[in-house]
Amino acid sequence: MNVKHANNASIMAAQNNSQPIELLLGNEAIGLGLVENGCRVATAYPGTPSSEVLQGVIRFKKHYGRDVYTEWSVNEKVAFEVALAVSWSGLRSSVAMKQVGLNVAADPLFSAAYTGVEGGFIVISADDPGPHSSQTEQDSRMIAMTAKVPVLDPSTPREAYMMVGEAYRISEKYKVPVILRPTTRLCHAVQDIQLPTEILFNDLGNGNKFQRQPTRWTATPKFRYLLHEELNQKIIEIQEENVNDDFYSNYHPSSNPSVGIISSGVVFQTAMQALIDLNVQLPVLKIAMPYPISQSRVSEFIQSLDVVLILEEPDVCIELQLPERQKVRGRLDGTVPGAGELTPEIVSSIIDGLLTQEGVQTQPIPIDREMEETLNSIELPVRKPRLCPGCGHRSAFFTIKKEFGPKAIYPGDIGCYTLGMNLRAVDTFVDMGGSITMANGFFQASKINQDTRPIIATIGDSTFLHSGIEPLINAVHTGARFILVILDNHTTAMTGFQPTAVNKTLADGRDAAHTASIIDLVRACGVDFIKTADPYDHEEFQAYLKQADEHTKKDTGGVAIIISDRPCILYDPDFAADRQIPVMVTEECDGCKYCLEVFECPGLSLTPDGDRVEIDVRLCVNCGQCVYACYKGFIVPVNIE
Amino acid sequence: MNKPNELKMILTGLGGQGVVFLTQLLARTALSLGSTVMVSETHGMSQRGGSVISHLRFGDSESPLIQKGTADILIALNLDEALRTLMYVRPNGYLIINSEKYLPEKIEKHLTRLGIQSFTIPADQIALDLGSAKMANVILAGFLSGLNICGIQYEAFRLTLSTLAPQYSRLNLKALEEGFQAGVPKTYLSVSAASRQ
Repeated sequence: MNVKHANNASIMAAQNNSQPIELLLGNEAIGLGLVENGCRVATAYPGTPSSEVLQGVIRFKKHYGRDVYTEWSVNEKVAFEVALAVSWSGLRSSVAMKQVGLNVAADPLFSAAYTGVEGGFIVISADDPGPHSSQTEQDSRMIAMTAKVPVLDPSTPREAYMMVGEAYRISEKYKVPVILRPTTRLCHAVQDIQLPTEILFNDLGNGNKFQRQPTRWTATPKFRYLLHEELNQKIIEIQEENVNDDFYSNYHPSSNPSVGIISSGVVFQTAMQALIDLNVQLPVLKIAMPYPISQSRVSEFIQSLDVVLILEEPDVCIELQLPERQKVRGRLDGTVPGAGELTPEIVSSIIDGLLTQEGVQTQPIPIDREMEETLNSIELPVRKPRLCPGCGHRSAFFTIKKEFGPKAIYPGDIGCYTLGMNLRAVDTFVDMGGSITMANGFFQASKINQDTRPIIATIGDSTFLHSGIEPLINAVHTGARFILVILDNHTTAMTGFQPTAVNKTLADGRDAAHTASIIDLVRACGVDFIKTADPYDHEEFQAYLKQADEHTKKDTGGVAIIISDRPCILYDPDFAADRQIPVMVTEECDGCKYCLEVFECPGLSLTPDGDRVEIDVRLCVNCGQCVYACYKGFIVPVNIE
Repeated sequence: MNKPNELKMILTGLGGQGVVFLTQLLARTALSLGSTVMVSETHGMSQRGGSVISHLRFGDSESPLIQKGTADILIALNLDEALRTLMYVRPNGYLIINSEKYLPEKIEKHLTRLGIQSFTIPADQIALDLGSAKMANVILAGFLSGLNICGIQYEAFRLTLSTLAPQYSRLNLKALEEGFQAGVPKTYLSVSAASRQ
């Protein structure tokens, strides 16, 4: 199943055997592809599983000495539009995000589909079937379908790398944005890839400058209708575009059975392996461009078969485009599960089930049910994600909970601090920036319901800059009353410590021209009550929370903000290094587990006999915060002076 | 040295135990011998105390995930994660666990029945004795090469290890050797419930 390297006439990459073969993450491979194919501007917003794409661009632009502007933008819409303007100026550009980030960038995406692009423009939108770390398992290919832009669906890191050139070619030939859609199991897969010797890609020869085009860039609704007709025509032509044959495969073993498979993306590789494991050969059509799908390729394939199984994820992009419904099996008829990742076990079971129905012999991999049952009977500790030992957010949440207790409403947001739900101080999270807007909504609802519970929203610094400012303006302007704690750990932690607009360095290490100030932004929104505190200083933090609460209640009051200021302990370990407070649990500990359940630091664990709590010295970072966690005083600093 | 044949390995442990480094070590060593490599790692929230699983494949297949019941070798950096991922190992496959304790007897019975050979090594303690608990993963790599079941020679691991994390090279190579020495006598033996007296 080796996909040959596609020859792209505009790249002169030497492919001799002395070139280094590197192990690259799928995302890095995409980054390499962007640099190799002459991308001049690459923007992104961090989001698992896409974050390493920009990091790959930065790595390889430095490696090959290429002039590529790279940017961690404030959010995905901003990232998209910055890259779009570059494309309209005749230069190749790209923007990368996770699938829910595409929702944020959807506004310019749909518009840009109509206006079209000049320099090739690639939108990398990484889906997360499962989901492993997202709020949805949505399918970016279906957004492509609705927006009417073509989408390429790579099945391996190497293929994703090679598809970049193809994406740029299609984008420039038809002057449309092109979506490149990897999924988690590709983004975070590692594969051997041969690096090009050198990169000699030259820019387009049209002067590379922005040209006025009133019927496109400033098309009013009447002209938008014409652009729509144009777009529809482009889609028809792209459908029969010869997307490089290397990315397709039409596997027709000699046996000639009546069941075939149409597949794309990582699932294709999973399906091929499943066929090997089942010891069966079936015709398989691999699709490289799920939308707009080549109807001629598909109908030719389906003709000779009685049953066609569609294996794609996370949703029905290919399946919906097939006019032939009788022969098709997929999600719509329940053959394929409607939610969750298509793991090898599930794919195997689907294929096996279908073949059995059609009377074809298979040899499924046996699952030893006896051993499975024995294993299931063993209780293993639950390993859920938790805030790190020493995390400032834990101290903040603990104090918030201490002050307001269970009779409060805690709108939360997306980031490491979502894990505040382990401390039961996060009740909701919807999307980026949602904490503030939801708090706003909860306030309105509380007025109607006569609900007197205080509302305490929490949001991170990067998330606040992403989409927290407008909600704050809205809340203050309309007179909402709630407490907002901005958990400022000076970075975008969960996704890998990418810099934000308040950091002094940019994506590729150069100095920022200017840094934003969260406190100034907050003031400018009209907030009257702003306090900054170190969450480690419990007493002060709690006192401020009390004052904040009063501020939300008094006549002249409104939104009250506390900025919880402490750098992420992984990002900036030096900051906490000189504040070492080793602790111990005294003999008097009665094993009530309050600290374990409410403070829930991984550095605290039960003794083997389960009677008392002890410090796990392998995980404890000596922050001393748990001293406050035990209200009975059984956790004490080791050297009391 | 020859490249290893088609091989499917599962590596598992907790975030912070060095599963990713071990995966890199194995993958790069195989690569240096001319093998094609496909690895699937868990990222993101795994660093914050969660379980980490790497699927590692040498050979032609480009499927990122390994199906349960088909992995040739499972290497676990702790006992709990071994139990959590045990269903991945195929009959007549191998299991290597970093643990002070042995597998529960009720599990050993199934392993014997399925022809799965399991090896337990207290790598944490060995690592601590060498100077740092963080080297348990390297000890396991050495152990693996000593067992002679993955088609990769000890020398190949040595070469790759000295280029990865060069600042810890001396200690790492010592750890690799300790693991190797522990693995060699166990080649061709299976540790059954009866023999662990």
